[in-house]
Amino acid sequence: MLALFTHTFLVVSAQDVRILPAVSRSYAITQVTVIQGPGRKVEGATVVIKDGLITAVGKGVAIPSDAIQVKGDSLYVYPGFIDGLSRTGVNKPREDVPKEKPKDPGNPLPESAGITPYQDVRSFLNPLDKSIEEWRALGFTVIQVVPYGGMLPGSAAVISLTGTADKMVMVPGAALYAELTTAERVYPNTILGLLAKWKELYRQAQQAKSYATLYASNHTGVESPGTDRVLEAFYPVIDKKAPVLFKAEKNLDVQRILSLKNQLGFNVLLAEVKEGWDLIPSIKASGASVFLSLELPEEKKEKEKIDKEKLKDDQAIVPDSLERKALEKRKADFTALYVAQALAFQNAGVPFGFSSLSVKIKDVQPNLRRIIKAGLKEDDVLAALTTNPAKALGISDRVGSIDPGKIANLVISRKPYFDEKAKVKYVFVEGKLYKVEPAVVEKTDAEKKSEKP
Amino acid sequence: MKKYLTSVLNILLLLVAVTYGFAQEKGNLLIKGGTVLTVTKGTLEKTDVLIRNGIITQIGKDLSASAGVRVIDAAGKFVMPGIIDAHSHAALDAINEATSPVTAEVFTGDVLNPFQVGLYRALGGGVTSIHAMHGSANAIGGECETIKLRYGVKDADALRMEGAPRTIKFALGENPTRVHGGANNIVPRTRMGVEFVIREAFSKAKAYGEAWDTYNKSKTQKGFRGAPPAYSHRLETLSDILKGNIIIHCHSYRADEIYMLLKVCTDFGIKKLVFQHVNEGFKVAPELAKFGAMASVFADWWAYKFEVYYSTAYNAAILTKNGVVTSINSDDGELMRHLYHEAGKTQKYGGLTDDEALSLITINPAKQLGIENRVGSLEVGKEADVAIFQGHPLSTYAIPVITVVDGIVRFDREKDPDDVRIYVDPKEPLDASVIHSTNDYVDNCMQQAESNYNNLFELK
Amino acid sequence: MTAVNIFIKLRVAAATIFALITLQLYAQSPKAKFGTFALTHATIQTVTKGTIEDGTVIIADGKITALGKDVAVPQGAEIIDCSGKWIYPGMIDGGTHLGLSEVGSDPRTRDFNEVGDVIPQLKALSAINPNSVLIPVTRVSGVTTVIATPEGDLMPGTAALINLHGYTPDQMFAGFEGVVLVFPNTGRKGFLDRRTPEEIRKATDKALSKLNESWDLAVQYHKLDSASKSTKYYPEMQALLPVIRGERTLIIEANTSKDILAVLKWVADRKVKKVILTGVAEGWRVAAEIAKAGIPVIAGPVLAEPTRDYDRYDKAYANPGLLKKAGVTVALRTTQAENVRNLPYNAAFAAAYGLGKDEALRSVTIVPAEMFGVADKLGSIEVGKNATLFVSDGDPFETKTNILHVFIGGWEMPMTSRQTELYQEFLQRDPGVTKK
Repeated sequence: MLALFTHTFLVVSAQDVRILPAVSRSYAITQVTVIQGPGRKVEGATVVIKDGLITAVGKGVAIPSDAIQVKGDSLYVYPGFIDGLSRTGVNKPREDVPKEKPKDPGNPLPESAGITPYQDVRSFLNPLDKSIEEWRALGFTVIQVVPYGGMLPGSAAVISLTGTADKMVMVPGAALYAELTTAERVYPNTILGLLAKWKELYRQAQQAKSYATLYASNHTGVESPGTDRVLEAFYPVIDKKAPVLFKAEKNLDVQRILSLKNQLGFNVLLAEVKEGWDLIPSIKASGASVFLSLELPEEKKEKEKIDKEKLKDDQAIVPDSLERKALEKRKADFTALYVAQALAFQNAGVPFGFSSLSVKIKDVQPNLRRIIKAGLKEDDVLAALTTNPAKALGISDRVGSIDPGKIANLVISRKPYFDEKAKVKYVFVEGKLYKVEPAVVEKTDAEKKSEKP
Repeated sequence: MKKYLTSVLNILLLLVAVTYGFAQEKGNLLIKGGTVLTVTKGTLEKTDVLIRNGIITQIGKDLSASAGVRVIDAAGKFVMPGIIDAHSHAALDAINEATSPVTAEVFTGDVLNPFQVGLYRALGGGVTSIHAMHGSANAIGGECETIKLRYGVKDADALRMEGAPRTIKFALGENPTRVHGGANNIVPRTRMGVEFVIREAFSKAKAYGEAWDTYNKSKTQKGFRGAPPAYSHRLETLSDILKGNIIIHCHSYRADEIYMLLKVCTDFGIKKLVFQHVNEGFKVAPELAKFGAMASVFADWWAYKFEVYYSTAYNAAILTKNGVVTSINSDDGELMRHLYHEAGKTQKYGGLTDDEALSLITINPAKQLGIENRVGSLEVGKEADVAIFQGHPLSTYAIPVITVVDGIVRFDREKDPDDVRIYVDPKEPLDASVIHSTNDYVDNCMQQAESNYNNLFELK
Repeated sequence: MTAVNIFIKLRVAAATIFALITLQLYAQSPKAKFGTFALTHATIQTVTKGTIEDGTVIIADGKITALGKDVAVPQGAEIIDCSGKWIYPGMIDGGTHLGLSEVGSDPRTRDFNEVGDVIPQLKALSAINPNSVLIPVTRVSGVTTVIATPEGDLMPGTAALINLHGYTPDQMFAGFEGVVLVFPNTGRKGFLDRRTPEEIRKATDKALSKLNESWDLAVQYHKLDSASKSTKYYPEMQALLPVIRGERTLIIEANTSKDILAVLKWVADRKVKKVILTGVAEGWRVAAEIAKAGIPVIAGPVLAEPTRDYDRYDKAYANPGLLKKAGVTVALRTTQAENVRNLPYNAAFAAAYGLGKDEALRSVTIVPAEMFGVADKLGSIEVGKNATLFVSDGDPFETKTNILHVFIGGWEMPMTSRQTELYQEFLQRDPGVTKK
């Protein structure tokens, strides 16, 4: 008697389908292996949930009378996963931008330049977005989402993968989101202009803020400064109340962002980092928080069939030559650096989370396994999915581990999650049970395959 | 207590040394028995050069180094100062913020890319430092950065030549008028407009500077509650030019526009001025010499645009003989690799002497970048940027064999690796080739402004 | 007048005198001179028959009529004493836009790139501007003969060999024309080309089918024309006819190793009789295959960057040497219009990085002459050949060397050009700085 949530049916009119809510908000998962956090495994335990929170965990824990029991034999329970940067559940803004030639490309409206830091991602949340269910099915329960846009799309929010657009928000205005994305046809059209514009905006914001404070204390005798929504969006950052969440995919992106941070002094969260291994010392020194990208470059399959087409390509370098072998080895060695990135951060003692902005859903679990194969311990991967991001996002008092008093966000899988044959069976988000149908999961994969860009 | 303080001090010094050392490696070398072309102090046969901690400490005969220091046998070879390219767009991820005719606020030092293989190839041509410049799409472009070719570093900052004077790019003539006037109908569309844009920018900067001076003075007074002038990164930089803190490097071709800028700078009290390309500089050589402006030219590029149709390869020689400090630059990743050969052309086109020709790629560009006290010649006390050649560098058959930056060997022909890439793109196929055509007719200074250029000239 | 000013004025004066001497301007008329000349006491680099010390070259009626150590000077000949000087054959550039382009960025002055992909009937020769300012600038450096070539997609036209003297294209024509084929290119065209490998492959495949389609049509046309003289006007096919019949050379541009191999296969499959390969930037990778096919190449520009990021830095310089070592016949080109004068320096770099000085000299003289079938007239100093040569005060591949006299077809060239005239006028400008 568990409620099923397949959203495709929800979208259809309320007359066809009668939604039957769960009979109770109490659950007990029994006889299950619980991994409360990294290095904290308990076998044959019971997890008790009531009204959205975890009330008890452990062996021989009492099962309340009104609890719906979930048999946990041969199942594994982990804290729900946390994603540092995503656009799951976020609508794209309507295309209002006119396509005609800009009259004065050097002085564009901020919107044309991608400078919209005053936008709030909450205005774009869509709880019916299909991908919410797809990510939940992987075990993700809390994600940090950002708006679409240019270099300063707006503020980020930390949301739960359940509930209405307002209920799902855990931390509004969690960060000011930024990308090194230049504007088209107007200033700033290159990374040169973008970085200069950033420095100017920040300094102007500092100036405006201090003057606004001065003005607020006594209005008489001085000209009104008016308001500036663009500059005001920086005030929480200047006050160190919110960090800048910066997409930092490539090595040089990270270098340039850290340089901005050192010059201007804001706190920064580096997200979607793909090429960070050479920058660990400077990242560590800067105190920036890090979310590594889950996307990894493809690896050449080990046993490759002789592909006639490919051989023609390589014939240019003379088949089986030393040069070709050396080049292939270099490529493979370099690709391995991407996979070993997380391990490098771990060994250097720099805590990190993961972000999912570019990775394809079907690659998430295989990529996690590749990272483990490269040497990162499972417990460390779990930390990157739970305790580390919870700390970085300032929500570790609420989520990140299975402890009484924390929100009931859980992933329950048949076989340990990092096993090749693991299958997520249930996911709890804020104490609401979602059953992951194997059919749904497969359809997702097939759908993704047919949805080639 | 004293002992404690000393050990703390030692630890601090160690930390400083380690951090400094981490940012800029310095090396020790002994180059023995070569023909040393000092450029400023004559040619010394069979002479040794001793380098310690990246500095030339001794030049003389029978020198010795401590154990563990590499000894380079330069017998029969030529040892000259590392070549300096005063006009380059290498090591940059972006070149032209071409959306506005004045973009003084941007800075090429923000977008350095140490991974470009072209930097190694330049080392293979004896080049040790370059002026990484903004492009010429704008009348007033961005600040530029002087860098050393420390190829192998992964930290973009490690390329910077710390303490080198600030420089900024200006551009006159066909490029800014085409990009802004031609393509977007914005001033400037003519050379008249270019002068106006520059005068207007300087005048606004002057007013900005005065407004801030007034505010800064007023705010110390009791009871003052006025607003500060709006902060503008652009006007700040322009003010710094007026204060003499930034050297202007101006892309220019026609004699009249060169003359125009001399007058504008005179009007605004600007003295630090270097013209770039300046193909018709020879037509106003007396005026350039009188002002004290310097010139950085091509050896023989011409006729690719109308504004260089009436120029001559004798330009460098004429300028030199009229007392203008002249250098030869490349503005091109390919040309940069044989600047020594470009300098040699001035012996054919104008009969410059060996030292005069070599100055064009060493001490003179150093002067133009304000770094002549540090590099540009082989003298005791200068930084150890050295290029060793098989054959005299002014011979077309010369082969650069070793290039040293800060006392570290960054290029050694005998140990040239098969694949010098630092980062490898996992997505590129193994046989990705780029065929470099010399007939693209997009001059390098116009990169990223080329869409406007193409629309105007219907190039494919 | 300050001491510095006096010093500068003295230097300028000294330099002016030096300039006048080297440029022999005080004795020079701007017109070319035809007649009988005796160039005496020179070191003659014949290229094909060794070096003649203290030799004399007699020029008469446009030809080299006598050559050697003890040669009689004809009556009335103008004697040019070349003691301490060298004589070389005029240099030949195997690929330029000289005469077809004046101001590179101005399309109104560019005549080598017509609209259309299969237009072999378009003749570069007709479009050459004999009065281009770039021509005198080039020939005073000793380059006397160049290929002027169309450029574009697939078959952009017919290239022509021209001497750099003459007032009409016919006066300049040096006896060779070749149909140009730009083989479908799988490499990136410059670093601004950001297409994906799939996009490049698609474009190449499309171009290749167009090429094969056109060639097949041309073969059909040839068969019909052989059977009964076809009067139907079909210019593209008529232009390809001589190529299919082996009467005219097909000049094929290919640069990546993959493309070069594809060309070798294509040429063999279609039994193309006369072929020259141009570009061959990655020729060194497949040098053995090119040598086996027996196809000569025109390589260049030598002063270029390697085609692949992981290639050794000097690959473009070393390319001609590596090709030659594998047995390929190599000539050189600059691909330039305004700086064809740098051909000898391209050759010098090729020499230094593996080709060797002797082969480098041959690659800009006799080798291209033979490739274009004009070795009876050009490419070396031999009796009976055209008097197309120059006198220098040293090795013409060195920048210290000055070219003192240039002869093309027996005409003595004026050693002036726009560039030398500007030097004259501005070395010491009058008036100088306006005194306030």
